[in-house]
Amino acid sequence: MKTRIAEMRKARKMSQEELALAVGVTRQTITSIEVGKYTASLPLAFKIAHYFEMAIEDVFDFSEYTD
Amino acid sequence: MDHYKKAIRTRILLLAVPMLFSAALGIYDVFFAGPEIKDSFIFGFQSGVATACGLLAAILVIRYRAILHDEKRLQLEFNKENDERRKAIRAKAGLPMILFTSVLMIIAGTIAAYFNAAVFIALIAAALCQLTISVVVKLVYMRRM
Repeated sequence: MKTRIAEMRKARKMSQEELALAVGVTRQTITSIEVGKYTASLPLAFKIAHYFEMAIEDVFDFSEYTD
Repeated sequence: MDHYKKAIRTRILLLAVPMLFSAALGIYDVFFAGPEIKDSFIFGFQSGVATACGLLAAILVIRYRAILHDEKRLQLEFNKENDERRKAIRAKAGLPMILFTSVLMIIAGTIAAYFNAAVFIALIAAALCQLTISVVVKLVYMRRM
């Protein structure tokens, strides 16, 4: 799944580790989500979106599931 | 995080059991075991497994004690243990049941060794084989996910 996590993280000058610590996962999980290898669960997706103060559909691209 | 700290302290206490058991067995083996025990086929294996368990427990206790005194490491360890991707990978690799059944097979094999060497070798080989497969599957999924 495509996400805007890397883009938003870089805009806030955050490292993957800082984001991982904030949402309660490992740095490797953030890396996997950013490169699209792993699809975050709904609770984690909400946590990430909430952290960036955005709607979940603005962070995660659900188009492949809705088309 | 206080709840997790308490859980770590409990783990340290529980890990003292294999450490003490290993130390007691080591003392018995060195000072009290007779030649009929030391010359038996299973003696080396049992001593090795007991020593390895004791050392592993000691390493874990040292690690947990270090984590308890460092808030950042504590948080990282908590995240690592509750990380959903790691949990998914572990589930695909059959953990923790593979580990549980392997330990049971090793214990059964150790007991069986007193009666039949072939059963001992078969059980230990099967346990090692399934552990190896589990590790390989885990490594594959760590790269894929």
